[in-house]
Amino acid sequence: MTQRYLILEDGSVYAGNGFGAGATTTGEIVFNTSMVGYQEVVTNQIYHNQIIVYSQPIIGATGISHDSYESILPTAKGMVVRDVATISKNRQRSLSLDQFLKQHNIPGISDVDTRQLIRKLQSVGTIKGSIVDVADDHAFDQLHATVLTNQQVAQVATPKPYPNPNTGYNVVVIDFGLKHGILRQLSQRHCNVTVLPWNADAQAIISLDPDGVILSTGPGSPLDVPESVLEMVRTIQERIPLFAVGLGHELFALANGASMTRLGTAHHGPNHPIRKIITNDIIYAEEAQEYVVDSETVDRNRLITTYLDLIDGSIQGLRHRDYPAFSVQFFPDGAPGPHDSVDLFDEFMEIMGTREG
Amino acid sequence: MAKVVVDAMAMQRALTRITYEIIEHNKGIDGLVILGIKTRGVFLAERIASRLKQLENASVPVGELDVTKYRDDIEHDGTENDPKVTVSKIDFPITDKKVILVDDVLYTGRTIRAAMSAIMDLGRPKQINLAVLVDRGHRELPIRADFVGKNIPSSQNERIKVSVTEIDGQDSVEIMRQ
Repeated sequence: MTQRYLILEDGSVYAGNGFGAGATTTGEIVFNTSMVGYQEVVTNQIYHNQIIVYSQPIIGATGISHDSYESILPTAKGMVVRDVATISKNRQRSLSLDQFLKQHNIPGISDVDTRQLIRKLQSVGTIKGSIVDVADDHAFDQLHATVLTNQQVAQVATPKPYPNPNTGYNVVVIDFGLKHGILRQLSQRHCNVTVLPWNADAQAIISLDPDGVILSTGPGSPLDVPESVLEMVRTIQERIPLFAVGLGHELFALANGASMTRLGTAHHGPNHPIRKIITNDIIYAEEAQEYVVDSETVDRNRLITTYLDLIDGSIQGLRHRDYPAFSVQFFPDGAPGPHDSVDLFDEFMEIMGTREG
Repeated sequence: MAKVVVDAMAMQRALTRITYEIIEHNKGIDGLVILGIKTRGVFLAERIASRLKQLENASVPVGELDVTKYRDDIEHDGTENDPKVTVSKIDFPITDKKVILVDDVLYTGRTIRAAMSAIMDLGRPKQINLAVLVDRGHRELPIRADFVGKNIPSSQNERIKVSVTEIDGQDSVEIMRQ
């Protein structure tokens, strides 16, 4: 074990023990409250350029498995944990967390008082930090001087289209940095999927004659995504059934005239109860959001609010009044997290089905 | 041999989708009334109405329609073998309203024709739309549904059984050989 440090922009220093890669990295610090699914979290591209603090005190006990990747080449900048399990067991285990992090050059730091750290993050909000070998003035200068990109989507989304052939509905997925859970759910429903880059224009989508279009999850701020994407959303929603998740939901809201604000403290975890308005059911799902739709800017003549967070009342789902187009802020694919809302994919299949005949 | 083709979750989902489609199609719920065809159509109508109320925060009137005496495929001979006719419960005017007619299964279309006759006797609605949970084909009249929960292509010697929690204790659609 080598001693390493997590340093934050506000001058605080957390000493800990390094695991995984020995790299020095800088990123935004976010915390995640999932009890399980550390692999899905660290491989999710929404954490591009971010250092993830886990509230679950022991991380790594089940290793890394083939089934739980949410991206091929994860680009998170680090993991901060209370305890890292040195022994991992699971029937699906193929690697230890330590080996995995070394392969992807992601540093980890353990033995950090994550409870204290999370309390701080809850009060200061988004803050930059670095995982370093020496916490001296030089390290802080480097941290302050580092400017993080706001072009996260372009960094992680596929630059070229690719197919995931099957025999069912023809679905186009627009990749803003998608998590594999979306493709997994579509594969289970035998969809013939084409994944297009985030900047695909409406004509390119229409020319593939899809039965439905999905706007994927992704990293960063929806406000940094160019207007041309919103234009594409407006064109597509009028013609083709549309399902938008995560960043896709945020873009769907923007495209329909709503505005977004940054949350004081991001939601990352499955412990927010969510009310499904139409049936008054309460569900749980993995939320991972830094931005929220301003509810007073939702035009009631265009959009219906379909899901609400019961803790802070934030909008978690929208649906267009005139077209079969709907979106959810949370991740319904259950990777990781509860499967309460996984049938949104079935709903999407059925919507595509009604347009067939 | 009964086979469940729509389970409780799928049934909830179908009603949810139909509700959204009704809003899409009618640009909101202004002037809307819902008429359920007895027996199970009434419960489905009430569920759609409660969903609309959740979403739009306004009530849509729900009525019960008994179409027995309008049917052309049941003999009325004035004996005790006559089908029992109950009364429709519709305590609101339907003239100039947009009527959503709700039934569980769309089959020959004769029930729907009878329902339309019953409605016309009550007033002159602006439009009538049809929502059904199941469309099983084999139409004998030129009728089609505007909102369909699930298309179940079936053979005429099969029976489609719709159960609703309110009277059958469970939500399901089963298909069985006769």
